[in-house]
Amino acid sequence: MYDLFFQKFREKVPLSVEEEQQIKSYLTPKKLRKRQYLLQEGDICKTLAFVEKGALREYSVDNGSEHIIQFAVEGWTISDLFSFLTGEPAIYNIDALEDSELILITRTAHEELLQTQPKYETYNRVLITSAYVALQRRLTASISLSIEERYTNFTTMYPDIAQRVPQHMIASYLGLTPETLSRARKKMTTRK
Amino acid sequence: MNTKQTIAVIGATGNMGAGIARNLSKGNYRLLLCANNQEKLQALVQDIRRHNAAADIEAVDCTVEASWEADSIIVAVPYPAEKEVADKIRKVANQKSVISISNPLNAAYNGLTTAPDTSAAEELQKLLPNSKVVKAFNTVFAADFATPVLDGKQVDSFIAGNNPEALQTVAELVSAAGLNPVIAGDLSVSRTLENMTVLLIQLSMKYNYNWLAGWKVLHH
Repeated sequence: MYDLFFQKFREKVPLSVEEEQQIKSYLTPKKLRKRQYLLQEGDICKTLAFVEKGALREYSVDNGSEHIIQFAVEGWTISDLFSFLTGEPAIYNIDALEDSELILITRTAHEELLQTQPKYETYNRVLITSAYVALQRRLTASISLSIEERYTNFTTMYPDIAQRVPQHMIASYLGLTPETLSRARKKMTTRK
Repeated sequence: MNTKQTIAVIGATGNMGAGIARNLSKGNYRLLLCANNQEKLQALVQDIRRHNAAADIEAVDCTVEASWEADSIIVAVPYPAEKEVADKIRKVANQKSVISISNPLNAAYNGLTTAPDTSAAEELQKLLPNSKVVKAFNTVFAADFATPVLDGKQVDSFIAGNNPEALQTVAELVSAAGLNPVIAGDLSVSRTLENMTVLLIQLSMKYNYNWLAGWKVLHH
Protein backbone atom coordinates (compact mmCIF):
# COMPACT_ATOMS: atom_id res chain seq x y z
CA MET A 1 0.00 0.00 0.00
CA TYR A 2 2.90 2.32 0.81
CA ASP A 3 5.66 0.52 -1.11
CA LEU A 4 6.36 3.04 -3.83
CA PHE A 5 5.98 5.98 -1.47
CA PHE A 6 8.76 4.72 0.78
CA GLN A 7 10.86 3.52 -2.14
CA LYS A 8 10.81 7.05 -3.58
CA PHE A 9 11.35 8.52 -0.13
CA ARG A 10 14.43 6.34 0.45
CA GLU A 11 15.86 7.36 -2.94
CA LYS A 12 15.97 10.89 -1.55
CA VAL A 13 16.55 10.26 2.17
CA PRO A 14 17.45 6.95 3.86
CA LEU A 15 15.05 5.89 6.62
CA SER A 16 15.15 3.49 9.54
CA VAL A 17 12.26 1.08 10.12
CA GLU A 18 11.14 3.15 13.14
CA GLU A 19 11.19 6.36 11.11
CA GLU A 20 9.16 4.70 8.38
CA GLN A 21 6.59 3.55 10.96
CA GLN A 22 6.33 7.03 12.42
CA ILE A 23 5.80 8.63 9.02
CA LYS A 24 3.34 5.91 8.00
CA SER A 25 1.07 6.73 10.95
CA TYR A 26 0.43 10.14 9.35
CA LEU A 27 -0.47 8.90 5.86
CA THR A 28 -3.96 8.39 4.45
CA PRO A 29 -4.39 5.59 1.91
CA LYS A 30 -7.12 6.45 -0.59
CA LYS A 31 -8.48 4.90 -3.77
CA LEU A 32 -9.89 7.06 -6.51
CA ARG A 33 -11.71 5.71 -9.53
CA LYS A 34 -11.33 6.95 -13.09
CA ARG A 35 -12.98 10.35 -13.64
CA GLN A 36 -13.46 11.02 -9.92
CA TYR A 37 -12.22 14.28 -8.49
CA LEU A 38 -9.59 14.58 -5.81
CA LEU A 39 -10.09 18.34 -5.84
CA GLN A 40 -12.49 20.74 -7.48
CA GLU A 41 -11.78 24.39 -8.15
CA GLY A 42 -13.08 26.66 -5.38
CA ASP A 43 -12.56 24.10 -2.61
CA ILE A 44 -9.58 24.22 -0.28
CA CYS A 45 -6.90 21.73 -1.28
CA LYS A 46 -6.53 19.74 1.93
CA THR A 47 -3.95 17.18 0.89
CA LEU A 48 -0.77 16.42 -0.98
CA ALA A 49 -1.36 13.30 -3.07
CA PHE A 50 1.33 10.78 -3.90
CA VAL A 51 0.44 8.37 -6.72
CA GLU A 52 1.10 4.78 -5.68
CA LYS A 53 -0.77 3.47 -8.73
CA GLY A 54 -2.70 5.08 -11.58
CA ALA A 55 -2.69 8.49 -13.24
CA LEU A 56 -4.16 11.92 -12.48
CA ARG A 57 -4.19 15.33 -14.07
CA GLU A 58 -4.43 18.85 -12.69
CA TYR A 59 -6.09 21.54 -14.78
CA SER A 60 -7.78 24.89 -14.78
CA VAL A 61 -10.90 25.71 -16.77
CA ASP A 62 -11.69 28.97 -18.50
CA ASN A 63 -14.61 29.56 -20.85
CA GLY A 64 -15.16 25.84 -20.95
CA SER A 65 -11.68 24.95 -22.14
CA GLU A 66 -9.29 22.94 -19.97
CA HIS A 67 -5.65 23.82 -19.46
CA ILE A 68 -3.67 20.94 -18.03
CA ILE A 69 -0.80 22.06 -15.86
CA GLN A 70 0.39 18.69 -14.60
CA PHE A 71 0.05 14.96 -15.01
CA ALA A 72 0.95 12.59 -12.19
CA VAL A 73 1.65 8.90 -12.59
CA GLU A 74 3.26 6.37 -10.23
CA GLY A 75 5.82 8.02 -7.97
CA TRP A 76 4.63 11.58 -8.54
CA THR A 77 3.05 14.02 -6.11
CA ILE A 78 0.16 16.26 -7.10
CA SER A 79 -1.64 19.10 -5.32
CA ASP A 80 -2.78 22.71 -5.64
CA LEU A 81 0.19 23.79 -3.56
CA PHE A 82 -0.89 27.41 -3.11
CA SER A 83 -4.29 26.36 -1.78
CA PHE A 84 -2.72 23.61 0.35
CA LEU A 85 -0.26 25.98 2.02
CA THR A 86 -2.50 29.05 2.41
CA GLY A 87 -5.97 27.56 2.88
CA GLU A 88 -7.22 29.79 0.02
CA PRO A 89 -9.67 28.30 -2.52
CA ALA A 90 -8.04 26.14 -5.20
CA ILE A 91 -7.88 27.41 -8.77
CA TYR A 92 -7.22 23.92 -10.14
CA ASN A 93 -9.15 20.69 -10.52
CA ILE A 94 -7.49 17.33 -9.98
CA ASP A 95 -9.12 14.16 -11.29
CA ALA A 96 -8.18 10.56 -12.00
CA LEU A 97 -7.43 9.46 -15.56
CA GLU A 98 -7.29 5.84 -14.43
CA ASP A 99 -8.39 3.96 -11.31
CA SER A 100 -5.76 5.11 -8.82
CA GLU A 101 -4.29 4.36 -5.42
CA LEU A 102 -3.05 7.42 -3.58
CA ILE A 103 -1.23 8.26 -0.40
CA LEU A 104 -2.62 11.50 0.97
CA ILE A 105 -0.93 13.82 3.44
CA THR A 106 -3.22 16.34 5.11
CA ARG A 107 -2.04 19.83 6.03
CA THR A 108 -2.03 18.94 9.74
CA ALA A 109 -0.10 15.72 9.13
CA HIS A 110 2.34 17.62 6.89
CA GLU A 111 2.95 20.31 9.54
CA GLU A 112 3.40 17.77 12.34
CA LEU A 113 5.78 15.68 10.25
CA LEU A 114 7.82 18.75 9.36
CA GLN A 115 8.16 19.51 13.06
CA THR A 116 8.79 16.01 14.36
CA GLN A 117 10.66 14.26 11.57
CA PRO A 118 13.74 16.04 10.11
CA LYS A 119 13.95 13.44 7.34
CA TYR A 120 10.48 14.37 6.17
CA GLU A 121 11.63 17.95 5.97
CA THR A 122 14.65 16.94 3.88
CA TYR A 123 12.44 14.81 1.65
CA ASN A 124 10.17 17.78 1.08
CA ARG A 125 13.05 20.10 0.30
CA VAL A 126 14.32 17.70 -2.36
CA LEU A 127 10.80 17.22 -3.71
CA ILE A 128 10.04 20.93 -3.99
CA THR A 129 13.47 21.68 -5.48
CA SER A 130 12.98 19.09 -8.22
CA ALA A 131 9.48 20.34 -8.86
CA TYR A 132 10.83 23.88 -9.19
CA VAL A 133 13.47 22.79 -11.68
CA ALA A 134 10.86 20.88 -13.68
CA LEU A 135 8.63 23.95 -13.69
CA GLN A 136 11.49 26.14 -15.00
CA ARG A 137 12.13 23.66 -17.78
CA ARG A 138 8.46 23.57 -18.64
CA LEU A 139 8.28 27.35 -18.73
CA THR A 140 11.34 27.60 -20.97
CA ALA A 141 9.93 24.97 -23.29
CA SER A 142 6.58 26.66 -23.59
CA ILE A 143 7.95 30.15 -24.28
CA SER A 144 10.94 29.34 -26.48
CA LEU A 145 10.49 26.05 -28.31
CA SER A 146 8.62 25.38 -31.52
CA ILE A 147 5.47 23.26 -31.38
CA GLU A 148 7.29 20.21 -32.71
CA GLU A 149 10.17 20.66 -30.29
CA ARG A 150 7.73 21.02 -27.39
CA TYR A 151 6.03 17.77 -28.34
CA THR A 152 9.28 15.86 -28.83
CA ASN A 153 10.60 17.29 -25.60
CA PHE A 154 7.54 16.06 -23.73
CA THR A 155 7.50 12.56 -25.22
CA THR A 156 11.25 12.16 -24.59
CA MET A 157 11.11 13.38 -21.00
CA TYR A 158 7.90 11.60 -20.08
CA PRO A 159 7.49 8.59 -22.39
CA ASP A 160 5.36 6.76 -19.79
CA ILE A 161 2.88 9.63 -19.57
CA ALA A 162 2.83 10.20 -23.34
CA GLN A 163 1.73 6.61 -23.87
CA ARG A 164 -0.99 6.62 -21.24
CA VAL A 165 -2.88 9.87 -21.79
CA PRO A 166 -4.94 10.82 -24.85
CA GLN A 167 -3.45 13.20 -27.44
CA HIS A 168 -5.93 16.00 -26.75
CA MET A 169 -4.69 16.13 -23.14
CA ILE A 170 -1.08 16.31 -24.27
CA ALA A 171 -2.13 19.16 -26.57
CA SER A 172 -3.75 20.93 -23.62
CA TYR A 173 -0.62 20.41 -21.51
CA LEU A 174 1.52 21.90 -24.28
CA GLY A 175 -0.84 24.86 -24.69
CA LEU A 176 -2.05 23.76 -28.12
CA THR A 177 -5.39 22.94 -29.67
CA PRO A 178 -5.77 19.23 -30.55
CA GLU A 179 -5.88 20.23 -34.25
CA THR A 180 -2.57 22.11 -34.06
CA LEU A 181 -0.87 19.18 -32.34
CA SER A 182 -2.34 16.75 -34.85
CA ARG A 183 -1.03 18.83 -37.78
CA ALA A 184 2.41 19.11 -36.17
CA ARG A 185 2.58 15.35 -35.58
CA LYS A 186 1.55 14.67 -39.17
CA LYS A 187 4.28 16.98 -40.40
CA MET A 188 6.82 15.20 -38.20
CA THR A 189 5.81 11.78 -39.54
CA THR A 190 5.97 12.82 -43.18
CA ARG A 191 9.39 14.39 -42.63
CA LYS A 192 10.71 11.07 -41.33
CA MET B 1 -17.58 22.01 -0.78
CA ASN B 2 -17.81 20.99 -4.44
CA THR B 3 -15.55 17.95 -4.31
CA LYS B 4 -17.69 14.92 -3.62
CA GLN B 5 -16.64 13.04 -0.50
CA THR B 6 -16.88 9.27 -0.44
CA ILE B 7 -18.50 7.74 2.63
CA ALA B 8 -18.40 4.05 3.48
CA VAL B 9 -21.32 2.79 5.55
CA ILE B 10 -20.47 -0.51 7.21
CA GLY B 11 -23.56 -2.33 8.40
CA ALA B 12 -25.76 -0.42 5.96
CA THR B 13 -28.70 -2.81 6.12
CA GLY B 14 -29.32 -2.22 9.83
CA ASN B 15 -32.07 0.25 10.80
CA MET B 16 -29.56 2.97 11.65
CA GLY B 17 -27.20 2.34 8.73
CA ALA B 18 -30.07 2.30 6.24
CA GLY B 19 -31.55 5.49 7.69
CA ILE B 20 -28.22 7.29 7.46
CA ALA B 21 -27.59 5.98 3.92
CA ARG B 22 -31.04 7.02 2.69
CA ASN B 23 -30.63 10.58 3.93
CA LEU B 24 -27.00 11.04 2.90
CA SER B 25 -27.79 9.80 -0.61
CA LYS B 26 -29.65 13.09 -1.14
CA GLY B 27 -26.49 15.11 -0.41
CA ASN B 28 -23.29 15.63 -2.39
CA TYR B 29 -21.82 12.30 -1.32
CA ARG B 30 -20.73 9.12 -2.96
CA LEU B 31 -21.86 6.25 -0.77
CA LEU B 32 -20.33 2.80 -0.58
CA LEU B 33 -22.56 0.45 1.35
CA CYS B 34 -21.36 -2.75 3.01
CA ALA B 35 -23.29 -5.44 4.86
CA ASN B 36 -23.10 -9.14 5.58
CA ASN B 37 -26.30 -9.95 3.73
CA GLN B 38 -25.67 -9.09 0.05
CA GLU B 39 -29.27 -9.74 -0.99
CA LYS B 40 -30.61 -7.32 1.59
CA LEU B 41 -27.91 -4.82 0.61
CA GLN B 42 -28.83 -4.96 -3.09
CA ALA B 43 -32.47 -4.46 -2.16
CA LEU B 44 -31.55 -1.38 -0.12
CA VAL B 45 -29.45 0.12 -2.93
CA GLN B 46 -32.28 -0.44 -5.42
CA ASP B 47 -34.79 1.08 -3.03
CA ILE B 48 -32.62 4.18 -2.50
CA ARG B 49 -32.18 4.54 -6.27
CA ARG B 50 -35.93 4.19 -6.79
CA HIS B 51 -36.55 7.15 -4.49
CA ASN B 52 -33.61 9.15 -5.78
CA ALA B 53 -32.37 8.34 -9.26
CA ALA B 54 -29.46 10.77 -8.86
CA ALA B 55 -28.07 8.96 -5.80
CA ASP B 56 -24.37 8.14 -6.17
CA ILE B 57 -24.52 4.86 -4.34
CA GLU B 58 -23.00 1.43 -4.68
CA ALA B 59 -23.06 -1.88 -2.83
CA VAL B 60 -19.51 -3.01 -2.15
CA ASP B 61 -18.87 -6.62 -1.25
CA CYS B 62 -15.76 -5.85 0.78
CA THR B 63 -15.47 -3.70 3.86
CA VAL B 64 -11.76 -3.16 3.29
CA GLU B 65 -12.17 -2.01 -0.33
CA ALA B 66 -15.00 0.38 0.59
CA SER B 67 -13.03 1.84 3.51
CA TRP B 68 -9.91 2.19 1.38
CA GLU B 69 -11.85 4.21 -1.18
CA ALA B 70 -13.70 6.25 1.44
CA ASP B 71 -12.80 9.62 2.93
CA SER B 72 -14.91 8.89 6.02
CA ILE B 73 -16.23 5.63 7.41
CA ILE B 74 -19.46 5.12 9.33
CA VAL B 75 -19.34 2.02 11.50
CA ALA B 76 -23.05 1.24 11.81
CA VAL B 77 -22.73 -2.13 13.50
CA PRO B 78 -23.71 -3.17 17.04
CA TYR B 79 -21.07 -2.53 19.68
CA PRO B 80 -19.99 -6.21 20.05
CA ALA B 81 -19.21 -6.35 16.28
CA GLU B 82 -16.99 -3.25 16.28
CA LYS B 83 -13.76 -5.04 17.13
CA GLU B 84 -14.04 -7.33 14.13
CA VAL B 85 -14.71 -4.37 11.82
CA ALA B 86 -11.83 -2.39 13.34
CA ASP B 87 -9.42 -5.27 12.76
CA LYS B 88 -10.44 -5.37 9.10
CA ILE B 89 -10.27 -1.66 8.33
CA ARG B 90 -7.35 -0.60 10.56
CA LYS B 91 -4.81 -0.21 7.73
CA VAL B 92 -7.06 1.52 5.23
CA ALA B 93 -8.72 3.76 7.85
CA ASN B 94 -5.39 5.34 8.80
CA GLN B 95 -5.92 9.10 9.43
CA LYS B 96 -9.56 8.91 8.31
CA SER B 97 -12.65 10.01 10.22
CA VAL B 98 -14.38 6.93 11.61
CA ILE B 99 -17.85 7.49 12.99
CA SER B 100 -19.00 5.43 15.96
CA ILE B 101 -22.81 5.32 16.19
CA SER B 102 -23.26 2.43 18.61
CA ASN B 103 -24.61 2.32 22.14
CA PRO B 104 -23.23 -0.57 24.21
CA LEU B 105 -26.64 -1.39 25.71
CA ASN B 106 -27.17 -4.24 28.12
CA ALA B 107 -29.81 -6.89 27.46
CA ALA B 108 -32.43 -5.08 29.53
CA TYR B 109 -31.83 -1.73 27.75
CA ASN B 110 -31.44 -0.02 31.12
CA GLY B 111 -27.69 0.44 31.23
CA LEU B 112 -24.42 0.17 29.34
CA THR B 113 -22.03 -2.77 29.23
CA THR B 114 -18.95 -0.51 29.14
CA ALA B 115 -17.18 0.59 32.33
CA PRO B 116 -18.11 4.09 33.58
CA ASP B 117 -14.67 5.45 32.71
CA THR B 118 -14.95 4.64 29.01
CA SER B 119 -17.41 4.49 26.10
CA ALA B 120 -17.97 2.59 22.85
CA ALA B 121 -16.34 5.45 20.95
CA GLU B 122 -13.24 5.50 23.15
CA GLU B 123 -12.91 1.73 22.85
CA LEU B 124 -13.10 2.06 19.05
CA GLN B 125 -10.42 4.77 19.17
CA LYS B 126 -8.15 2.36 21.09
CA LEU B 127 -8.68 -0.20 18.32
CA LEU B 128 -7.98 2.40 15.60
CA PRO B 129 -5.21 4.52 17.12
CA ASN B 130 -4.35 6.33 13.86
CA SER B 131 -7.92 7.11 12.87
CA LYS B 132 -10.01 10.09 13.97
CA VAL B 133 -12.91 8.49 15.81
CA VAL B 134 -15.97 10.68 16.17
CA LYS B 135 -19.16 9.85 18.06
CA ALA B 136 -22.31 10.80 16.16
CA PHE B 137 -25.86 9.66 15.37
CA ASN B 138 -26.04 7.54 18.57
CA THR B 139 -28.54 9.78 20.35
CA VAL B 140 -31.18 9.52 17.61
CA PHE B 141 -33.57 6.70 16.81
CA ALA B 142 -33.59 5.09 13.35
CA ALA B 143 -37.09 6.43 12.67
CA ASP B 144 -35.80 9.99 13.17
CA PHE B 145 -34.03 9.83 9.81
CA ALA B 146 -37.39 9.62 8.03
CA THR B 147 -38.86 12.22 10.41
CA PRO B 148 -36.02 14.50 11.54
CA VAL B 149 -38.42 17.27 12.59
CA LEU B 150 -40.54 16.36 15.62
CA ASP B 151 -43.09 18.68 17.20
CA GLY B 152 -41.84 21.41 14.85
CA LYS B 153 -38.25 21.08 16.03
CA GLN B 154 -35.29 19.60 14.20
CA VAL B 155 -33.81 16.78 16.26
CA ASP B 156 -30.34 17.50 17.67
CA SER B 157 -27.56 15.04 16.94
CA PHE B 158 -24.62 15.35 19.29
CA ILE B 159 -21.05 14.90 18.12
CA ALA B 160 -17.94 14.19 20.16
CA GLY B 161 -14.34 13.81 19.05
CA ASN B 162 -10.77 14.96 19.56
CA ASN B 163 -9.87 16.20 16.07
CA PRO B 164 -11.31 19.60 15.06
CA GLU B 165 -11.26 18.85 11.30
CA ALA B 166 -12.95 15.49 11.78
CA LEU B 167 -15.62 17.13 13.98
CA GLN B 168 -16.30 19.62 11.20
CA THR B 169 -16.52 16.88 8.56
CA VAL B 170 -18.95 14.90 10.70
CA ALA B 171 -21.03 18.00 11.53
CA GLU B 172 -21.52 18.44 7.76
CA LEU B 173 -22.56 14.79 7.46
CA VAL B 174 -25.07 15.11 10.31
CA SER B 175 -26.48 18.22 8.71
CA ALA B 176 -26.75 16.49 5.32
CA ALA B 177 -28.59 13.65 7.07
CA GLY B 178 -31.28 16.16 8.09
CA LEU B 179 -30.38 16.51 11.77
CA ASN B 180 -29.11 19.49 13.74
CA PRO B 181 -25.43 18.93 14.56
CA VAL B 182 -24.28 19.94 18.04
CA ILE B 183 -20.58 19.50 18.75
CA ALA B 184 -20.60 18.47 22.39
CA GLY B 185 -16.92 18.07 23.24
CA ASP B 186 -13.99 15.68 23.10
CA LEU B 187 -14.32 11.92 22.68
CA SER B 188 -14.81 11.28 26.41
CA VAL B 189 -18.14 13.15 26.18
CA SER B 190 -19.31 10.00 24.34
CA ARG B 191 -19.89 8.49 27.81
CA THR B 192 -22.62 11.06 28.43
CA LEU B 193 -24.00 10.75 24.88
CA GLU B 194 -24.26 6.97 25.13
CA ASN B 195 -26.01 7.27 28.50
CA MET B 196 -28.42 9.84 27.06
CA THR B 197 -29.60 7.14 24.69
CA VAL B 198 -30.22 4.75 27.58
CA LEU B 199 -32.50 7.40 29.07
CA LEU B 200 -34.23 8.09 25.75
CA ILE B 201 -34.90 4.38 25.31
CA GLN B 202 -36.22 4.11 28.88
CA LEU B 203 -38.53 7.09 28.31
CA SER B 204 -39.63 5.76 24.96
CA MET B 205 -40.68 2.47 26.52
CA LYS B 206 -42.27 4.07 29.59
CA TYR B 207 -44.30 6.68 27.73
CA ASN B 208 -44.76 4.77 24.48
CA TYR B 209 -43.04 7.23 22.13
CA ASN B 210 -43.25 4.53 19.45
CA TRP B 211 -39.46 4.85 18.88
CA LEU B 212 -39.93 8.24 17.32
CA ALA B 213 -38.23 10.61 19.75
CA GLY B 214 -35.08 12.68 20.02
CA TRP B 215 -33.18 15.19 22.07
CA LYS B 216 -33.49 18.92 21.59
CA VAL B 217 -31.57 21.46 23.62
CA LEU B 218 -33.73 24.55 23.99
CA HIS B 219 -31.80 27.75 24.32
CA HIS B 220 -32.17 31.43 23.59
